[in-house]
Amino acid sequence: MDAVTYPEEKVIDFIVGQTIPLRVSSADALADQFNVQWTPTLAVLDSEGKEHSRTVGYLGPAEIAPILLLGIARAYFNREENEQALVVYNKLIAEYPASDQIPEAIFFYGVVMYKHTHEPKYLRAAYDRLTAEHPGHEWTKRAYPYRLIGV
Amino acid sequence: MKAIQWETKLETALQRAKAEKKPVLLDFFNPG
Repeated sequence: MDAVTYPEEKVIDFIVGQTIPLRVSSADALADQFNVQWTPTLAVLDSEGKEHSRTVGYLGPAEIAPILLLGIARAYFNREENEQALVVYNKLIAEYPASDQIPEAIFFYGVVMYKHTHEPKYLRAAYDRLTAEHPGHEWTKRAYPYRLIGV
Repeated sequence: MKAIQWETKLETALQRAKAEKKPVLLDFFNPG
């Protein structure tokens, strides 16, 4: 991460613009508190210190921003801040279309839209899009029950 | 040269997170 990912200007701009970056040694007591067993471990916390997502292992420059956006969106989702979650999922889908994280973003965009509007059509739309664009993907399988929703 | 300015204390990062309305990216690294 130090040699390849973090020196990239786009990565720097993203991390500094979107997050408060905090770096702690795995030998620090905080690593025990967060039960860190391997490095690198990256976690997204809210301003109360609550963890909302975690990723373990190397992330390259192309994938770190989409993965962190998923984590940021998940933090909003968990706090039922639906409008903010939708903004972040939309940003991820629009700005990182080649990312491996897109299927999860499409799935949760549908879920959040459903929670926000109570209209099941958004779950079906997520299933339809996942089936069309990411057939066989894990998140397409998770959306499988939504095929039964009428449009 | 441009570089990420990392916070090193959780308390400081959380204070900034509240003030700047941003999440915290917590990176645990291997000190070697």
